[in-house]
Amino acid sequence: MKTVLTTLAALVAAVGTGLSAHAADFPAKPVTIIVPFAAGGGTDITTRTLAEPMAAALGGEIVVKNTAGAGGTIGAAETARARPDGYTVGMMPVGPMTTQPHLRELPYNPDSFDYICLAYTAPSSLVVRKDSPFEDLQDMIAYAKEHPGELNYGVQAVGSIPHVAGLGLAEATGAEFTFIPYKGSAPTFKAMLDGSVDMFVAHISFLTQNGDQVRSLAMFSSERVDGAEDLPTSGDQGVPMDFPIWGGIVAPKGIPDEARAALESACEEGIHSDAFTERMKTLRQPVAFMGSEEFEAFVRSEFDKNEKLLVGAGLGK
Amino acid sequence: MELFAQGLGHVLTLATFFAMLAGTVLGVMVGVLPGLGSVIGITMVLPFTYSMDQIPALALMLGIYCGSVYGGSITAIAINTPGTPQAAATALDGFPMAQRGEADLAIGWATAASTIGGLFSVAVLILAAPQLAAFSLNFTAIEFFALGVFALICIANVSRGAMAKGLLTGAIGLFLATVGADHVTGDMRFTFGSFEMSAGISLIPAIVGVFALSEVFTRVADNHKPKPQVVHNVGFRLPPLAEWKPRLGTLLKSCMIGSFVGALPGTGATTSAFISYSEARRSSRFRENFGKGEPSGIIAAESANNAVTGSAMVPTLALGIPGDPVTAVMLGTFIVHGLTPGPQLFLHHLDLVYAIFAILVVVNIMMFFCGALGAQLFTRALRIPEPLLMTMVVVIAIVGAYGVRGNPLDLVIAFLGGVGGFLLRRGGFPLAPLVIGMVLSETIENSLRQGLLLTRGSFLAFFERPIALGLFLLTATMVLWPILRWLKERHRASRENPQ
Repeated sequence: MKTVLTTLAALVAAVGTGLSAHAADFPAKPVTIIVPFAAGGGTDITTRTLAEPMAAALGGEIVVKNTAGAGGTIGAAETARARPDGYTVGMMPVGPMTTQPHLRELPYNPDSFDYICLAYTAPSSLVVRKDSPFEDLQDMIAYAKEHPGELNYGVQAVGSIPHVAGLGLAEATGAEFTFIPYKGSAPTFKAMLDGSVDMFVAHISFLTQNGDQVRSLAMFSSERVDGAEDLPTSGDQGVPMDFPIWGGIVAPKGIPDEARAALESACEEGIHSDAFTERMKTLRQPVAFMGSEEFEAFVRSEFDKNEKLLVGAGLGK
Repeated sequence: MELFAQGLGHVLTLATFFAMLAGTVLGVMVGVLPGLGSVIGITMVLPFTYSMDQIPALALMLGIYCGSVYGGSITAIAINTPGTPQAAATALDGFPMAQRGEADLAIGWATAASTIGGLFSVAVLILAAPQLAAFSLNFTAIEFFALGVFALICIANVSRGAMAKGLLTGAIGLFLATVGADHVTGDMRFTFGSFEMSAGISLIPAIVGVFALSEVFTRVADNHKPKPQVVHNVGFRLPPLAEWKPRLGTLLKSCMIGSFVGALPGTGATTSAFISYSEARRSSRFRENFGKGEPSGIIAAESANNAVTGSAMVPTLALGIPGDPVTAVMLGTFIVHGLTPGPQLFLHHLDLVYAIFAILVVVNIMMFFCGALGAQLFTRALRIPEPLLMTMVVVIAIVGAYGVRGNPLDLVIAFLGGVGGFLLRRGGFPLAPLVIGMVLSETIENSLRQGLLLTRGSFLAFFERPIALGLFLLTATMVLWPILRWLKERHRASRENPQ
């Protein structure tokens, strides 16, 4: 009996060592995360913050590379056509993943990727100037219906999530807005302060950072937001909408399962690390995580939702 | 004043002092290297700033910002390649001066003018930040369009002597910037179906190609020609006070232009340097010498581009709106450090605001000494045998072109820019209008189309806005200026010789 137990124990130990030795095959060299926007922006800062604890969990090195241009599609394409060995992945935000492919021909689509994890997601908010005459969403919608096209709705880029959210709002309520594209958040914000535009959709951290100059008419999220429970959602005001601003790690299609699993668990550990959660708190961003399968299903559903809205607005390719 | 002294107290700690010094030195270095610029410099140190205290972190970044805007002038003077787009106007008179062997003096003018410009704009920031911020809100897309059209006159002013050719290169610049996504509709333009081209032609690889590589090509092509033996002065020479005196007007005007343009979010140091250079070329008493190595040209460009640094902080701090990519990255750092820019900053964190003012003052003074010491090194580069120097320029240029976006297409753009720039030089075309065109193209086009959306398609409504109307009238006056001057001279001539 004793011999059997010893043998079993030895077997378990051997299998255990074998497994861990196998797991240690990845990573054998530094992993590159491609960020499809310029260094110093929101996606870049989040990725660089995550890279360190994630590398520690992975037991290797992580290099962040910025490949900017064309609304993030250049970096997304670079990720899609990288060698599928798990050593090149991309931190891909909602825009290049789920709105840009509907606007024009791109060398990738959701089938071009393997999905590792969702790294962040934050609700968006419809913001107006603090001294705006509109009290709430219904107030603004009623005015917009009476005066079709009179209200100016600023968008940070054509086909971006804030734009898609505005299209969704118009479709759901029958209100008409004049969409005015600016280039990025800062010029859009400026245009609202100078009176050119009446509203735009922003990331929740923008709202908390500029709380003395803007206020929220509605949060575009299915539930009230942690830390901002006092802000009504659009659903509370009769127009259910959900337009999160998210990003996650994807890899070129066909990476080894072992690499995918290692990256997924390192991502999860990194996201729940103190370093990452604390930085997210100062940036006033909620911490969120989804594993591989859940993330893929989520991307595909977002992809279909945004296609419907963009094609409906005549912006589809 | 008391607040400022307090701010200075915050700043003069050992950690902050070294952060300022390191930032300024690093800033001058990334400025000197073509392709690397303010944004890359700041993002390089970004990871370090997270773990630093608030004030040293700000000091580091502000040092890089000011240093890099100045540093570009050194390369512009020494090898006719602006180290950053902001210094493109500096090459126009700086390089001819260096060709005479007076690089030491040219760098002296540039360094002193940069420091004065920087300090002037800090004074503007201290005295009028909230007021200027409020004023900048009068600039909607319509006013930016009017300002962009006004700035186009620079093309004519820097092309004097080769007007048709200058206008042509200006038009090429305007056109090149339209490649890529149409910002208002999202459609692709002039990409010929190439996905890589959808990112457009970005300014830095184009400048690196058109200036640096074409300079190398030109020198290689001229290799067989006998070269004039020029003794290059080494070191750093400050111009004597008597030389400054007749140029004080230009200096003051350029500082004001830089501070004003800088306070408008979205227009940066490149535009302000060209507007100021072109105004100096129109009005300076030395205007005949412009383009041949006239110090006033260096003064105009360098004091204006550094005068942007202080006033660009106006919308950033007072409204929370960054004016350019550099201040956008800095704004991100403020937020990481728990600071919320905006009107509340001036109410609740006044000590910090004054610490920022104090940092800017100290950094601008440090920049002067960095330049003076650095010039010892950089002017020596001119004595390196030409084949070695040119090889170094090629290597640095290629690294810079690729480093901005990590897009291999940028290498192709830089190379084609080099060939194009070489052909343009051979044909006697001025290169500066190309940069002006590329810089202004996007502002003019986007603001025109945004403006038309705002007015629901009415051009006439553009003229109903007082600031825009004023700028349009100013533009018209400037365009007609040579005719007005000709009429005045004819009038005077007919009065003096009344037969």
